[in-house]
Order: sequence, then structure tokens, then C-alpha cells
Amino acid sequence: MTMASPNCWRCLARPSQRLLVPTSIAGPSTTAAFTTSAARFAGERKEAGGNPLSRHIRSGKKLILGKKRHKGDKSSGKSVGEGERKAFRKRITLSNNNALDVPGLDEITAENMTDQAAVGQVMGIPEEVIDQLRIVEAFKPTQQWGLFRRPHMLIRRETVDFVKAMTETVARKGTFRSVVTGPRGSGKSMLGLQALCAGFLNKYVVINIPEAQDIVNAHTEYATIPNTNMFSQPVYLIKLMQDMYATNKEVLSKQQVGLDHMHLPISVPRGWSLAQLASATKEPEFAWPVFQALWKELLLPGRPPIMFSLDGLSHIMRPSDYRSPSFELIHSHDLSLIRLFVDALGGKTHFANGASIVGIMTKGNSLKIKSLEKALEQAAAAQAGLKIPPRDPFYSKYDEKVFESLKGVGIFEVNGVSKAEARALMEYWAASGILRMRIDEKNVSERWTLAGNGVLGEMERASLFPLRL
Amino acid sequence: MSALRHSFRCLREFRPASGPQWPSATTALAYRTRTSSPSTSRYLSTTTPRPAILGDDIHADKDIAIVPASRDTPGKNEHSSSGGNGAIQIAYARAVPHSPSYFSRQPIFNDSFVVIQDLARKYGRLPILPKDKVALTAWKTKEQYRLAAGEHVKGRDYATCMTLAKRLNQIHPDLKPDEVKEGLAPFMRDINYHKNRPKIVPVDRFGRSHGVGRRKSSVARAWVVEGNGEVLVNGKPLSEAFGRIHDRESAVWALKSTDRLDKYNVWGLVEGGGTTGQAEAMALAVAKALCTHEPALKNPLRRAGCITRDPRRVERKKHGHVKARKMPTWVKR
Repeated sequence: MTMASPNCWRCLARPSQRLLVPTSIAGPSTTAAFTTSAARFAGERKEAGGNPLSRHIRSGKKLILGKKRHKGDKSSGKSVGEGERKAFRKRITLSNNNALDVPGLDEITAENMTDQAAVGQVMGIPEEVIDQLRIVEAFKPTQQWGLFRRPHMLIRRETVDFVKAMTETVARKGTFRSVVTGPRGSGKSMLGLQALCAGFLNKYVVINIPEAQDIVNAHTEYATIPNTNMFSQPVYLIKLMQDMYATNKEVLSKQQVGLDHMHLPISVPRGWSLAQLASATKEPEFAWPVFQALWKELLLPGRPPIMFSLDGLSHIMRPSDYRSPSFELIHSHDLSLIRLFVDALGGKTHFANGASIVGIMTKGNSLKIKSLEKALEQAAAAQAGLKIPPRDPFYSKYDEKVFESLKGVGIFEVNGVSKAEARALMEYWAASGILRMRIDEKNVSERWTLAGNGVLGEMERASLFPLRL
Repeated sequence: MSALRHSFRCLREFRPASGPQWPSATTALAYRTRTSSPSTSRYLSTTTPRPAILGDDIHADKDIAIVPASRDTPGKNEHSSSGGNGAIQIAYARAVPHSPSYFSRQPIFNDSFVVIQDLARKYGRLPILPKDKVALTAWKTKEQYRLAAGEHVKGRDYATCMTLAKRLNQIHPDLKPDEVKEGLAPFMRDINYHKNRPKIVPVDRFGRSHGVGRRKSSVARAWVVEGNGEVLVNGKPLSEAFGRIHDRESAVWALKSTDRLDKYNVWGLVEGGGTTGQAEAMALAVAKALCTHEPALKNPLRRAGCITRDPRRVERKKHGHVKARKMPTWVKR
């Protein structure tokens, strides 16, 4: 119905502007372009005297018809190194100097994250929390942080509800166990990021597994744990402990080691702080015992609350890609770190100081796991006080471990934002200079509908993707 | 041929109301026995005018061209004067078609045209209605008439005929003779589509209106209710139902183009076809349902392209082609 624009979307020059540029000043040397490389590249290829701004500069391949192929063009540039492309793809850019600064926005604090009055406001993340979140990899490459001057977040109703429930439970030394679900692109990972943010601001000991897929797809090393039928992932554990040290140093360094860890391969004197314990080893062999010791220390009464979060819950609810020595697939729950998480999520671990255990579902990259679906359905029914739906009697492959791990969790459903929240967000986009349209009720409502009743990821897609270069 | 020649008009009286063009076999045999008779006269002359009185007799004994001698009609006597003593008098020396237009290229049209011309002359003085007061009539177009009659009617002739026919149709309906109605019938379509009235689907007691739209091989049903812009397609939000943003815009284009996107909720069911077809079928369905709520939007919606069904379908594959039009690759041997 709508016609596609005849002009190149990504071309920075407007077609009308290009027509208006007088040829005398349109040379590439005199024009200060947004980025000069493309214009220069276009100028080099063109014959002399042409106006390089008069043609569209499209990214991607150029179709060359006819028999004459320029085979000599390959000369420029060296080949891409190993892993470079992936690094480029996975890079996290948190600022963009070309975007406009949006003045007058508040910063997130522990208080206003639980304040109903903050709903529908866009707030900045404090600098120190940005660093912590970056270390625990809470920012995802799929999120559009790189379009803005500095990271800001929309505080939506779900955020306040979730963070409020979390902090209140933890404040009375309870365990907040929750699974965040919702449709694709609805902001589940963003809610996880906001929860982590609240954790850091409330001085919890924050442990984050940013991508559960990474620890079950057999891409990191694993080792048997003697005298058990479990497996540890030493390299990943060391990285996790280093992250813990870097992000929770302030909290951990105030806590002294309280147990005597006789069985540990390294000596841990009583005078050590937990921060020292967290950074005590870089030896893969000692990783699991040291991590276990740290975990035991954290469970002692009088310690700060723990926040343990995992993104991509469905990946750990099935057999992993690892193989046991007898070449059988290892269930994800037999990996020690995941066992630690699911025990905490399922309520088997007792937290004396309060804890927040958050599992975040993923929909974009997820598998259909019947046990998980049924377990979540039952948990949601139990939460709502409805009759618990029975299992399918004709399906024999239900995974008991999954049901164990999700016993009694709270289900937190994330859906689209309200129109008021959508408007706040679009106003922020417009103020940042990346959404060039009037933000009125009509336009907001249009985007809101096109985004499937306010699904945030889809709103971004509809509004910002033409800009993603 | 602006008008038929006078002789044709005279011949018209011989045409029976209905029946085969040729006499039956028995009469034909009888006719053969009489061929040697010297007194037969040519009746199919297009030059000699014939007395019109003859017609009544021919009509009376339908398709039999053999006339008994006992008849003493003055006209008959005049023609069969030589064979007065025979048992059976035969009017014609050879088989004669019932329609004098038989040997023309367009007998059916010519006959109808003659009727129209005569009626026009006969009833030219009856009071007529002004053109805008005449009930809408579905006339056959030239092509449709050609198809129906199986004759290649010339455009100019047909136009002349239609001018007369339309003039006849203007006669005041209370005074219009049955003859005129019968005469005009061959030029009218079987179904007067002007009398078609769209079935009005009202807004039901829940405030819903229903519309159906089709595109390619997709069929969409949409229920539109006043609301705040929520859309569910097959129970899913728009973003899950259609991956492409273009398709999502298409699906709610009826609302978007009329600035009604935040005033209605849509609940749709689509099946068949692909995503584009489903989205554009939704557009038509929503537009129809929206028209029930606000009939004044029909014209803006038509301009937005949401009323007219796109009739294009997948073109069929042809033999000798790889697809509908693609030809196999040329191979030297």
C-alpha cells in the first residue's frame, strides 16, 4: 500500500538537497560531509568533474552487468582476521557523539526505581553502574545503545513493579524467585538489566550469567568434579569470579572470610576479605572449589543479599551439548554452576540474608521445551490462585528436573508498554535527534499499533532501523 | 448500412414467431414433386415488394409452406392461380428461410433492428420521460451482444440501433406497450445489475462490524469495534502476525489512511496465501468493516485503495514453459 521510497534510505543527503547543491561548491574537498570516506570513495570512482553528491551511495554489493568484471578491485585492504568479524558483530557501543545530548533527564537511583511517580520517565544510568553493567555483560549487542549520546532507560510500570517486589522481599530477608516471560522484543532482557541496575544500586552481591547458551553449548571447557556426578566449567567460573570481583569489590571487600576452608587447595586466612577470595585464583583446577567456598561464605548470615540472574532460561532446561566420559549427553542441571542457579531458583537453597534469583526467558533464540512450558504454566496458575493445569498424560518425556527447578517461582509477564510510556520514549528519541517526526498522539498511536500493541523492540524496529547503519 | 432496405422490411411479415428456418422433411419432399411445375414464382426476390396480407396465412399454419388449394384468400389466389385444380398447392418453388435476413451476415441482429425501427416509427409520439427519470437499464454492450447473438455486429449499426432502443425505453412506463418491452429485450442484459443492492451488515449489539476481504488466495475476516488501536490477527498481536513492517502497515492501512488508527480495535482472522496477501486481504476487510461504522469514509478509502479488490492471481503455468512465461534455457543441441 505504501510505496517504497525511490530514494536511498541510508543516504544522508536528501534528494532535494542534492538537487540544490551548486556544482561549484559540491566538490568532495570543499564539502564537510557527515562522514567523508564515502564521498571520497565515490569521488575516486567517478570520472573527473562529476558531482559525487548527485548519486546515491548505497551500501552493499553493486550489481555489475555485462561481461566486464573488474577483477583488479580486490587489491585494497587486508583480509579480516580470525574472530574479528564476530567481535565487530558483538561489540557494545554505549555512546554516540553524533547524537544530541538530552538535557534535563534524571538519573536512576535506588529510590526512584521503586517510585510509581517515575513510571513513564526516561532516566539515565549512573556512570559507575554503567561500568558494572558493562562488566557483567548486561548490555546486549541487539539493543540500540549505540544510537544515543549516553545510556538512558525507560522506567515502565513493569520495572517499578518488579524492582519494588524484589527489593521489598530482599529487605525482609526473603528470597525473590522470579522468571521473566513475554513475547519477543518486549523488553525482558531490559527488565533484567534494570533489575541488575537495582541490585548494584542497592549494594547486593550481583552475579550475572549474561547468556545461558554460552555455558551449555560446549564452547567452554569443562571438567569432572571428583566424587560427584557433576561437571564444572573452570574457565567460565574464573571469568565469573573476576567479574564478581570487579563489580562487587566495594561490597565484598567489607566482608571477612568467616569459615575455615581446610579442603581448599589454596590457603584462605581468616583475615581475608571476600573480594580477595573472589580474586584468589586464576588456576582452572581450583576454580570450582574456590567458587564454592565463596558461595558458602555469601550464604552465611550477616552477609549482603545476593542477586543471581541468568538470561536465556530455556537453554538450561534441557540436556547440554557436553558429553560425559561415557559419551552420554550431560543434562544442563549437572553442570555445577547451573545446578547452583536452579537450586536457588527452585527454592532448595536457603538464603539467610535475602536473595533475588531472576531467570529471564528468551523468545528470539529459544527452543520449544514442553516441560518448561508446562512448568511455567503451572507456576503462573499457582501464582494466580487458579487450578493447576495437569501434565499431558500422553507425553512421556517430561523432564522432572525442570519441574523441580521451577517449583514455586513467580512468573512476571512483560508485554507492550502503554501509550504514555511509548510517547515518553519517542520524545526521547526525537530529542536525541534520531527520530525526525512530530511526536503527537497520532504518530505515537500509529507506532504503538504497528509495534503489536506497544512491544518495545518492534517500536524500535519501526522507528530506528532505517537509521542503523 | 444505416437502415435496411425497404424490401427487407416488407419481407419481415413472413417471419414466423418461432420455428425452424426450413420447412420439415415431409413438406420438402412434397415440394420436390412440384418442382417441375412451370407456374412457380420466385418469392425470395429482394427487389419486388410483396403484399403484406399474405403474412397472416403463413402464420396460421406455422412451419408448413404448403398451402392447400381450398384456401381462397385473395392474395393466395393471386399467386397460386395456375394450380387451382391440384390437391395440394405449394406456395414456394424451393425451400425458403423463415427470416428474410437469412442470407445476410447478421440475421438475428437485422431482425431485431427491424423490429426496433418499426416500433420507433409506430410509437414515436408516445409521451416520454426525461432521461434522468428513466429507470436504470443494463444494456448489452456491443461485445456482449456479439457474444450473445454469435454475429459480428458492426459498431455503427449497433450504435444506431441502441439510439432508437434507448429512445423507446424512455416511453412513460404506464404507457409503454408490451410490444416495445418485447422488442427491447434482445438488447438488455439478463440481469439488471442496477437493481443489485449491497447487503447491509449492521453494527451488532456489541458494537462490532464485520467485513471480509480477499487478495491473491488469502481471505480475511475482520471485526472492527471502537477502541484505542489494539489489533489482533489470528489471536496474535500485529507484530507477531506480520514480520514485515510494510505488511503491518498494509493490514491497518484502512485505519491509518483515514486517521482512525487510535479510534478502533480490530480483531481479524486470516487464512490462505502468503504474508503479503494476508496483509492486504486484512486491509480490505478492515475497510469494509470500517465503512459500516462510518459510511462517509467509503470514498476516502476508495482513494486509499482499500475498496477495490485486486483481481490478480497467480498466472497459470503453460506447457512448453518452465513457469508461466519463462522459457527453457536455449541449448545448442
